[in-house]
Amino acid sequence: MRRKSALLTIILMWSLLPLIFQLYTSLSTPEALIRPFSSISERWTLENYRQILNLNPPFWVYLFNSTILGLITTFLTLIISIPASYALARSKTKTTEGIRLILFGVALFPYVLLFLSLLQIAREFNLGNNLFALSIPYTALSLPLAILLLSAAFKEISTELEEASILEGFNLFQRLKLILLPILWPAIASTSILVFIFSWNEFPIALTWISNSNLLTLPVAMARIAGSSVYSIPYGLYAAATVMGSVPLLILVLIYQRKIVSGLTQGAIKG
Amino acid sequence: MTLILILPAALLISLVFLFPLVHYLWLSSKAFSVMTGLVAINNNGANWIRLLNDQRFWQDIYQTTRFAITSVSLELLLAIIIAIILDQRIKGRGLIRAITLLPWALPTAVMALGWRWIFNSPYGPIEQITSLLGLEPINILSTPEITWMATVIADVWKTTPFIALIILAGLQSIPYDLYEALRLEGGNQYSAFIKITIPLISPYIFLSLVFRLAQAFGVFDLIQVMTGGGPASSTESIAMYAYINAMRFLDFGYSATIMIGSFLLLSTSCFLAYLIINQTKSLISNQKP
Repeated sequence: MRRKSALLTIILMWSLLPLIFQLYTSLSTPEALIRPFSSISERWTLENYRQILNLNPPFWVYLFNSTILGLITTFLTLIISIPASYALARSKTKTTEGIRLILFGVALFPYVLLFLSLLQIAREFNLGNNLFALSIPYTALSLPLAILLLSAAFKEISTELEEASILEGFNLFQRLKLILLPILWPAIASTSILVFIFSWNEFPIALTWISNSNLLTLPVAMARIAGSSVYSIPYGLYAAATVMGSVPLLILVLIYQRKIVSGLTQGAIKG
Repeated sequence: MTLILILPAALLISLVFLFPLVHYLWLSSKAFSVMTGLVAINNNGANWIRLLNDQRFWQDIYQTTRFAITSVSLELLLAIIIAIILDQRIKGRGLIRAITLLPWALPTAVMALGWRWIFNSPYGPIEQITSLLGLEPINILSTPEITWMATVIADVWKTTPFIALIILAGLQSIPYDLYEALRLEGGNQYSAFIKITIPLISPYIFLSLVFRLAQAFGVFDLIQVMTGGGPASSTESIAMYAYINAMRFLDFGYSATIMIGSFLLLSTSCFLAYLIINQTKSLISNQKP
């Protein structure tokens, strides 16, 4: 029993220490960071947070951009993947098995390699510096996993229930809205959260599509701060940015832990 | 009807995944850079000859492979241990799972910056502790021999939760009766682990291995933000090299060649790994009575 809780403590420390250290750094004065083990009169400060909120543009703009982008991407992914998953789950031919296999392969593909062509598309159709446009590749990148997860969930629903509702004269849209979606709700919620997290964290495509500093997403903005000065890097400022960028996801994970886990594990079992 | 429902998804997926592959294949046969005035000119496979002789490309292949294999094996090992512990009945399991999941959910670029500070010399906590102990400074992020290990640590921290959760799902799918039956036959904990746990979670291990290896091979954000590929290009990954060629040298033809080349290498090695794993799998299942 004691060994178990010791191991558990180690695991929790391993996950949390880097985060706690960021929090500590963000609240420390530069003097306290340089000489942490000596006694300094002024150790704690909120100056870093004040500065990061007064940057041009202020930091919350990035949080706002990432949130908007995440919501649009999640919405688009759902309205495209739900019909496709339904169709895939309801037809049992060799082609659907093939499609499933292709989707699995595509979901594995290291998508960072796609950036050059996607950039070309953005240039050709003038899609740069537009969060709505950026949600198109994000949606496409989220689709394979979303379809795999949702079609597995559709398969769980008995066809009898659906056939009964066909006899009642419900059309496809009514069936989806009144019968299928309410049952599917848990799977949809898990998928949404996974898609939102992906979109919130995506880096290479946002890096190449967005250059206007008012439209940067959080990860790109962070990297920009990192690249801005090579020698005197304002780590206190960084840490404040890290903490502020982490809090929304921290809340999301704490609230939806169960949904995230079931999404990931359903994907593992049925994907 | 089926077709109409699938069509939007199929179109988007082919636009984003299929088009680039065709586009890269076309680009890789052209000289297409700022030197040619951004006009595509046939160059009879000169890109490919250049790739084969490019020291930096092979160095990056080596570095990316070293990074991917080291971090994924460490992650797998830790993930199995973590999953076994999380599988036990413990108080506050929800909160504990949420905390272990946290590193995975945070943006890689954001936490890469955090790790850069942790490994910073001389003010980061690690160097502060070594100096407190009276040791020589390690200069983790400016010593080419060890910087890549720092990137491995950051990657292990970030992605172990993902594998652990998938393996946890595997553990929880094992019916308890199996262990009970083995215990009645006089098996101990160790033999239960070898005979029941490992074979039954191996599909989950396989899945997370394939997924993580592919991801680790495409590593970009973590290294871009943490080290920028340095010191002396020692941590530069393939994706970064392709990125630099396109965005800094504006040599799109060669950048596409790098991507096709590394994709070919990746899929060949995935196929080989698949064969090897299948072989070992059948060996293990043959041993079962």
